[in-house]
Amino acid sequence: MHRKRLWIVLDYLLLSAAALLFIAPVLFMVAGSLKPDARVLSEMDSLRAVLPAQLDWQNYRDVFARIPFGRYLWNSALINGLIVGLGLIVNALAAYALARLQWRGRTLILAGVLALLIIPFEAIAVPLFYQLSALGWRNDYLVQVFPFVANPLAIYLFYSFFLGLPRELEEAARVDGAGILRTFFAIVIPNAKPVFATVAIVTFLLYWGMYLWPLLMTVDDGVRPLPLAIATFYTLPPVQWGDILAFGVMMVLPVLVIFIAFQPWFVRGVATTGIK
Amino acid sequence: MTRRTPTSEHTIAWLFMAPGLLGLTLFILVPFFLAIVLSFTNTRLGSPLPVEWVGVREYVRLLGDSEFLRAMFNNLLFALVVVPVQTLLALGLAVYLNRPLRGRAVFRTLFFMPVVFPLSLIAVVWILIYSPDANGLMNHVLRVMSLGHWQARDFLHDPLWALPAVMLTSIWQGVGLQMVVLLAALQAIPGELYEAAAIDGARAWQRFRHVTLPQLRNALVFVVIVTTILAFRVFDQVRIMTQGGPENHSATVVFAAVQAAFDRAQVARGMAMSVVFFLVVLAITLVQRKLFKQTRS
Amino acid sequence: MSCVTFTHLSKRYADGTQAIVDLSLSVADGELLVLLGPSGCGKSTLLRMLAGLESPSGGEIRIDDMVVNDLEPQQRNIAMVFQNYALYPHMSVRQNLTFPLKMQGLPRQEIEERVRTVAERLSLLELLDKQPKALSGGQRQRVAMGRALVREPKVFLMDEPLSNLDAELRLQIRQDIARLQRDTGITTLYVTHDQVEAMTLGRRILVLKHGVVQQLGTAHELYARPANTFVAGFIGSPGMNIFAAKLHRDVQGYALEIAGRSLSLRSGAYTGEVLLPFEGNTVQVGVRPESLCLLDEGAGFSVSLSAVERLGHEVIAHFPAINRVGDSQEEHSARLAYQDALQIGDSVKLGLSVKDLYLFDPNGNALPRVGDIVSPSATD
Repeated sequence: MHRKRLWIVLDYLLLSAAALLFIAPVLFMVAGSLKPDARVLSEMDSLRAVLPAQLDWQNYRDVFARIPFGRYLWNSALINGLIVGLGLIVNALAAYALARLQWRGRTLILAGVLALLIIPFEAIAVPLFYQLSALGWRNDYLVQVFPFVANPLAIYLFYSFFLGLPRELEEAARVDGAGILRTFFAIVIPNAKPVFATVAIVTFLLYWGMYLWPLLMTVDDGVRPLPLAIATFYTLPPVQWGDILAFGVMMVLPVLVIFIAFQPWFVRGVATTGIK
Repeated sequence: MTRRTPTSEHTIAWLFMAPGLLGLTLFILVPFFLAIVLSFTNTRLGSPLPVEWVGVREYVRLLGDSEFLRAMFNNLLFALVVVPVQTLLALGLAVYLNRPLRGRAVFRTLFFMPVVFPLSLIAVVWILIYSPDANGLMNHVLRVMSLGHWQARDFLHDPLWALPAVMLTSIWQGVGLQMVVLLAALQAIPGELYEAAAIDGARAWQRFRHVTLPQLRNALVFVVIVTTILAFRVFDQVRIMTQGGPENHSATVVFAAVQAAFDRAQVARGMAMSVVFFLVVLAITLVQRKLFKQTRS
Repeated sequence: MSCVTFTHLSKRYADGTQAIVDLSLSVADGELLVLLGPSGCGKSTLLRMLAGLESPSGGEIRIDDMVVNDLEPQQRNIAMVFQNYALYPHMSVRQNLTFPLKMQGLPRQEIEERVRTVAERLSLLELLDKQPKALSGGQRQRVAMGRALVREPKVFLMDEPLSNLDAELRLQIRQDIARLQRDTGITTLYVTHDQVEAMTLGRRILVLKHGVVQQLGTAHELYARPANTFVAGFIGSPGMNIFAAKLHRDVQGYALEIAGRSLSLRSGAYTGEVLLPFEGNTVQVGVRPESLCLLDEGAGFSVSLSAVERLGHEVIAHFPAINRVGDSQEEHSARLAYQDALQIGDSVKLGLSVKDLYLFDPNGNALPRVGDIVSPSATD
């Protein structure tokens, strides 16, 4: 009995140690954000790297003083919010047409959409950059939103879900006299809450950290989102690491909060796609 | 109240598809074909010279382009190292967590956390961790682990260590995702299979080989394919941490393409690289799918 | 007047399967017609074509003399109760009942009135503000019925509405449905695979197999005058025992050769005229399990019991089929008065009355019996 308990305790200790070690860079980031800049560098070789002696919030104040952090935050929020919001509408509509409606060309378009899943964004980033710049479309919010609204992955997730809904509901609505639009908005969508949540979260997490595209398409701070801002901030003299780490903490907080809050949703979604 | 004729259903369907189709075409299909077309020309951004058709000249040039070849080599190396290491690590973690463990969700969250971090943030933080000073976090840890034999290095500017440094960052960021997928797959294995195997006399290692691994096949395939493709898409960390240096020792294909088209206005060259990049990713996906399809039950 | 007429209706799917083969049928106003058959026989397809959820490959569907082939479900003024009820899960019971009326564009006053009337009739008043997931199976069934009723349709369609309920509930709701149909007088088509349900509910029953009409008749007609071996074997639990025998003629008249014995048909239900064409051929013979009895001794058929089911008031004894016809019935059965003594492996003697024998031609179609005015085949 004692033996068993000993093993269990050791087990937890081992696991906790491994987890802490793994998460050390995060702890380092948080701890560093709460120290004066000099200490961040000097204390790197001690336990103080992850455990500050006292909590100093000066870095956070500095960030707001040196750069328009609020503006970057707003930019990220706006851009991401639009991508997610518009994306939900556009992709759900497309997926419903593919899953439930009969129309000429459906099989072809479906195959096409699924084929597009294979194309990684990086393969078209450069040509798209050229294409839109040549048209003079650069350095605004919409150019950071529109390319990502229609999303083959989101369409696929909605499509699978709609296929799985029992047809009887839509048939009952049809017998009751509802047309296609009415059926979609009054019957299908209210029963599709899980997939809307999953797609929203996945899309949000996918695009919050987007760096390549803003790098190519934005010229000044006005419309730059956080991931690009931190990369330029880090090169902005004087390089004060405390400030940079504070920037990082504030930048990742929204994502962490959403992730922790919706963890079960998200993990389930990721896992089931993988098992299939 | 409208009659659902085949024609009206057809019209409504196209209306539903329209915005999505428009977006997909304008922002994925068009640039895709544009890249192909432009790679056969000698376009330079902002150049006053007229554009001419040059056929496969850019592609031929790429064959002898040391920057590009180095980048491809780096990506291959990246994949060859990161995929097995990350997968084994993830598998180990998943197996370790696959027990009636209280607080398993907490551990799972901890390991998964880096996955949701923006790559540019991770890059910046790890720049600090890789600080070249003797008391830099990574240098310090390595010195402690090697019992004082480790010499401080400037990882990000060292031709030998730059790429491995980026690899480690990627592994750290990606292992949580694989772990979660594998863990879910493990939990889907019915307990009775293990019980039956135990009754049949299989020991722990044999149960792992004959029950766990076969049931994990699909998830493992998925995870390997995704990680391989991600290994080829590496950009953010390279751009921020090493800028491909020193001397392209840590450059990746996407980095090279962006550098050509964006930094140096060598549009045609960048397009050609993008096309080759896509073809490589496509080839890998198809090959891997085919390979694994044969072993799938 | 809401009669339904199918004329030469057929349905063929894209992969070639023929779901309905040349079906012609008239359903009278106010009638409850049951569509009965094994799964895959086409009964649901027929219902759905009438509903407008699927379109026929050929033929006409009329409601009240109006061809409805091209009309949308709502325009046909029909209502349907689905097998799984298909209640809108995100709406309350009241909203479920209101929805179809809203689609029709009825004024609010009338909607409220109708919902109230139907809710009262089906005892749904206390449930109006609840969600479907909070209801029991029986309650959900009533809501599904209510949603259909509230439309005051011309035709009621029911697709196996009781199959998701437990046995006790099924019995009770079956009676409720029958009563409801009588009271409202709405023409109803009812699909089921359960013959007991079919026989108790409908006056006329349409038996289908593989999209082909087997027989249209009352429960008694199906039982006592099956049109073919399929109907004979399908109706009854267990169904009629079918076996093969050679028809020959002896000194006293026609006789069947079974298991090495000769069974005279002199006192049976078939005239010489009817039997003549089949003399010397092998015909199919049927006898219901309830027509068999246990004999202590004397002339009878010896069988070895392979299974014995004791049912309190009777015993169903199974034995290997005598003179099996092709791949059908592996075992035959007999329903006998209850006795303890029978065991598996026992050898017993069974007897029957020749009057209880049914004869079918080599294709399985019933031969006309004495007293039949018309030959028992599918008519409208």
